[in-house]
Amino acid sequence: MSCGKPIAHLWEEFNKRVNEGEEVKKVLDDLGLERFCCRTVFISHVDLIDEVAKFKKS
Amino acid sequence: MEMKKLSMDDMKGSFLVKGTTAWYLNTLRRLIINNVPTLAIEDVTFIENSSALYDEIIAHRLGLVPLVTDETYVDQEKCKCKGAGCAHCTLQFTLNKIGPCTVYAEDLVSKDPKVKAVYPKMPIVKLLEGQSLKIEAVAVMSHGKDHIKHTPGLFYYQQYPTFKIKEHKNAKKCVDVCPKKILELKGNKLKVVDETKCNLCMACVDECPEAIEVKGSETDFIVNVESWGQLTVKQILTEAVRVFDDELDDLAQEVNKIK
Ligand code: SF4
Ligand SMILES: [Zn+2]
Repeated sequence: MSCGKPIAHLWEEFNKRVNEGEEVKKVLDDLGLERFCCRTVFISHVDLIDEVAKFKKS
Repeated sequence: MEMKKLSMDDMKGSFLVKGTTAWYLNTLRRLIINNVPTLAIEDVTFIENSSALYDEIIAHRLGLVPLVTDETYVDQEKCKCKGAGCAHCTLQFTLNKIGPCTVYAEDLVSKDPKVKAVYPKMPIVKLLEGQSLKIEAVAVMSHGKDHIKHTPGLFYYQQYPTFKIKEHKNAKKCVDVCPKKILELKGNKLKVVDETKCNLCMACVDECPEAIEVKGSETDFIVNVESWGQLTVKQILTEAVRVFDDELDDLAQEVNKIK
């Protein structure tokens, strides 16, 4: 179940701020992500494209 | 029916609706999910894609990008072209990027300057040195029962809470237990600060059943509308009502035909 809210545009800011050491809860609240369906996406996402992009597609 | 604004801007609205029923509001909710048309990318032609992602994944991602919807476009189902696709119900986009870079939703360029991505900084794919992406895409005006990407927003409601404060001695416990922090002790008397924030969790009643009674109204509701950006909250509501109106007109015509 998910509410369907568009959140992709917030990912880069979230990632940057968390990597700079800000608390995850605070960043999520700042970005206006109230519901757990939005929050869980950001908390659990692992960005792999930098690794995957080095290999050839089959 | 009576509607009072609690708060509203283009993206989010909260209303108090009095003298209605849950099924009536649910009809409105389903109309917004299923029947309010918006623009979204439907067909993508790949001229070049040497990125890490497959064509299908990029096409899917592009389809989910919300587009600012101009109300001059008409739902393809009801368009004069009968679903073939014409300038009234479709719009062409192009995207051309060479790595190294991140492709964003803002890189989608359309022929109509009014229609662009709602959120410019949505990443589509990352391109490394030597990779490139060149596509043509067609956005279609359609509705949520066709694909969820056309749904303009979220609509949810809850019963308006009514409180009954009874004679009591120690109600400190239920003040502490309220997750919304809307109960207060004034001297020895229990008070509700902002009842619109109550989510009817009943934690206070479980804690002090002798002090407080909470009930959801059957006729009054708090209605929340959130826009995903294609249309404003006001546009979503008026469009939903208009679509319903059209459907009822159709039904009335059919009924009149019966001899
Ligand atoms: S029902 Fe829940 S939210 Fe409402 S006042 Fe009681 S504890 Fe607070
Ligand atoms: Zn058409």
